[in-house]
Amino acid sequence: MTAATETDRALVDRVAKGDRAAVRLLFMRHHARVYRFVARQTGSEMMADDIANEVFLELWRQAPGFEGRSEVSTWLLGIARFKALSLLRKKKEDWIDDEAAAAVPDGADTPEVVTMKGDKAAALRRFVDALPEEHRVVIDLAYYHGQSVSEIGEVLDIPVATVKTRMFYARKKLGEALKAAGYDRGWP
Amino acid sequence: MSAAEKMSRRDEMETLLPFYLNGSLEGSDLEAVEEWLASDPSALAALGEAEAEFSGTTAANEAIRPPADALSRFARALDAEAGPARAPAGSSWLAQAWGRFMAVPVGVAWAAAAVLLALVMVQSFVEPGGKGNDFEIAGAQDDLAKMPFALVKFKPDARMSDISAFLDSNGLKIIGGPTADGVFRLGIPAATAADYTKQIGLIAAQPFTETVIEGRKPVDGG
Repeated sequence: MTAATETDRALVDRVAKGDRAAVRLLFMRHHARVYRFVARQTGSEMMADDIANEVFLELWRQAPGFEGRSEVSTWLLGIARFKALSLLRKKKEDWIDDEAAAAVPDGADTPEVVTMKGDKAAALRRFVDALPEEHRVVIDLAYYHGQSVSEIGEVLDIPVATVKTRMFYARKKLGEALKAAGYDRGWP
Repeated sequence: MSAAEKMSRRDEMETLLPFYLNGSLEGSDLEAVEEWLASDPSALAALGEAEAEFSGTTAANEAIRPPADALSRFARALDAEAGPARAPAGSSWLAQAWGRFMAVPVGVAWAAAAVLLALVMVQSFVEPGGKGNDFEIAGAQDDLAKMPFALVKFKPDARMSDISAFLDSNGLKIIGGPTADGVFRLGIPAATAADYTKQIGLIAAQPFTETVIEGRKPVDGG
């Protein structure tokens, strides 16, 4: 266990005792990642703003029950995921404002067009954005949020084997898209 | 090994590479990837491709900028939920200052950080009527208390999202503060004095850093 992890857990203990400074410090540490996680899931920064705030209010409420079986970051992402899915089901597409809709990957560009818009790195970024949500979220959680296979399973509430399957297909699709754009990386 | 078996092993390794890169792989999976990287000429190229995905995914996420006033709005929501904040009995003046700091919008709080740093340091280390402790806001654990640190003040117009991203990407942690004058204590994950100096230089070079003062350094004779 790292010092940073212990510190997060120690802060949650403080939150459980009603320490508001501790919850604000956890907010400063984790808010940006939670916000981005929700924004990527929902395609709406407005929803991300509301949900990220709610996640930390939920932390305030649930801290006394936190048993420390997972990392605090994993716990927060799990809460965020649940809240985002719940709100998406409730609000559906009409929550997405014009600005957010413009940021949602449209999937309309062919790999060739994407390649023409920039270099390989830019193309790769677009291909990641254009992955189906169930694949992109696994990529995001592993690469950006640093989550392990089991932690991703916890956040998404899916078995470890499913995490690996989704990662396999996500990377396979990225490889195929790159190949179609002229960047053959030798796999798949 | 048949071609099908080789392909199957390659698929498995490609699936594990993201977790190898993020440092979460362990046990037999870690051994398998390391053995593959050491033995298969195509493996290093595959690792390079995964690193490109890592960079692309990070860039895509960091392009999303959280609102600068998120903390102040959250503070208001928290107060609405939990009621007005009250100072704990027997709390230090620094803890009370922290409470006051957190009660105002982030931008205003940054702007309030205008008193001379030297004065802040004297105040922080010689607490009136206290035991001469420095401030302890974020953590009270022994390992944090022994951690190398620096005292840092950010510019009044610094964006929380920029600071947060920088801290995250460099493994830096806020372990104390801010004082009423806006000084934070940053934990520096440095094993040697040279590492520490390098990290201090990096912090000082950030556009949102106003002042950085060296604190406890690693003891390595370096």
